Amino acid sequence: MRRSLLFVLMLVVLAVPALFAQDLTLPMKNGSTKFAVIGDTGTGDKHQLAVAKQLSATRAKFPFGFVVMVGDNIYGGNTPKDFDRKFALPYKPLLDGGIKFYAALGNHDDPSERFYKPFNMNGERYYSFKPADGVRFFALDSTYMDEKQTKWLDDQLKASGSDWKICFFHHPPYSSGETHGSDETLRTQLEPIFVKYGVNVVLTGHEHFYERIKPQKGIAYFITGSSAKLREGNISTTALTAKGFDAGYTFMLVEIAGDDFYYQTLTDTGKTIDSGSVHRVGKVDPTPNRSAQPVVATSGKDAAKPAPDKTPTTK
Amino acid sequence: MNVIRLLGVCTLAYAVSAVPAAAQTKAAPKPPRPQISQTTREQAAAKNANPDALVLADFQKRIDAYMAVHKNAAKDAPPLKETKNPAEIKKAQEMLGAKIRAARATAKPGDIMTPEIRNKFRRLMYPVVQPTARDKAAPPSPVKDVPVTGTPVQGTSGKAVKADVKEELKENAEEQEEEGGKPIVLKVNAMYPPDSPLPSTPPQILMSLPKLPEQLEYRLVGKTLIIRDVEANIIVDFVPNALQ
Repeated sequence: MRRSLLFVLMLVVLAVPALFAQDLTLPMKNGSTKFAVIGDTGTGDKHQLAVAKQLSATRAKFPFGFVVMVGDNIYGGNTPKDFDRKFALPYKPLLDGGIKFYAALGNHDDPSERFYKPFNMNGERYYSFKPADGVRFFALDSTYMDEKQTKWLDDQLKASGSDWKICFFHHPPYSSGETHGSDETLRTQLEPIFVKYGVNVVLTGHEHFYERIKPQKGIAYFITGSSAKLREGNISTTALTAKGFDAGYTFMLVEIAGDDFYYQTLTDTGKTIDSGSVHRVGKVDPTPNRSAQPVVATSGKDAAKPAPDKTPTTK
Repeated sequence: MNVIRLLGVCTLAYAVSAVPAAAQTKAAPKPPRPQISQTTREQAAAKNANPDALVLADFQKRIDAYMAVHKNAAKDAPPLKETKNPAEIKKAQEMLGAKIRAARATAKPGDIMTPEIRNKFRRLMYPVVQPTARDKAAPPSPVKDVPVTGTPVQGTSGKAVKADVKEELKENAEEQEEEGGKPIVLKVNAMYPPDSPLPSTPPQILMSLPKLPEQLEYRLVGKTLIIRDVEANIIVDFVPNALQ
């Protein structure tokens, strides 16, 4: 009797996280582009392992084809053992399953990581890739944002005919973090280029929490820097914040179907903390003088509220 | 006797009130004073040039000379190429590093970062972490962000950069602790210890410094700015007390 009770109890304990993991709201349309986003991952500690485990488990329900890493891929030492402990082992089930990882360099990364094949950087600090027709990603090195790189980005975006232009890099141009906050210098360098060529979505990390920013100049910004490190209570909610979560470790799932970019953010226990969609609004002709082009509109819990004109307020 | 007691009490009261006041009005560190050698001054005068420009040109010349050594050594070393095996990346770095070390066996601190170049770097970094006009104009606020709409602000405030630097240094120290706490010994021409964390450097500071070739990078180890050869993982030279 006791054994049966123990067995039932164990089943319940095991089933609870699984139930959470089943709580997926993404449409899972045929032919859509599915991927995951993780950031500030390379610690090799239990938190990275927990997120990695949940990410692998989620793939059974949401078969994403690749993972975008927004930097700080290897913290601390970077010996061959570190590459194993902080990347290859945590994501082994995904790597074994043929999932590709595309990394951007963070401020804690050694630029020589670009030669590590599993990061798919083609030996470059910044690069682009096209996982599907109509979708192109641009990985940037935000630690060394020089003229050469901004010229490269300008040329790449100009030449890109993709409907979805997604940039990913480490430092967030918009953030409500108390520790770092918005990187305004980087914003000054990149935002005009994003606006000019109609970049739709920007994925970043650096801040050890999750934040979805209200669209800025028609661009959707996400921060996913808590896939292994966490700064609890670090979000000083501003008018920029559409959704912030600084109480747990997270990763993002994304599905692009037609003109919609669906997102769902989960914790290491599989709990959904944010979900919604970004809708692409038409094509953008390069017009550097216009400051707000209709690139995206979002839907989600907080998306309907317009961003105020006034200086942001704290919570 | 009473007069002496009264004087004593007054002195004590003054001391008690003066100490916190002094602490509160702790002056910001003074900007580093230019230290330009007589030779550079004379050259500048002869060329009708800015002495600082000559110092930076000298830095560039020294970096170019280092890169000539690097490129020459790279000809005989296995190239860094994409690999699944990180040990191969490390091996390629070590082999190139060994060749560079051999080629500049007598290298010592100050060969590239001469005293006047060090001084120039300190002066370049100093303003980045000082309060800017923007900091002084607006009272301190818990909200670090700019208005959602309106004219974009050019650059990050000095206070924010300073806070960021502090945070980075703290995080670097934590990482160092997590990795076993071995101190990083800075030695010119030596390999940067691969089992030690690579400390991060705020982009605002990097942007204030002369641009380096892609093979090299700046890193802030505590308050010391190092130039590291990324492809060979060696410490090229450094500036002690770079951040003032």
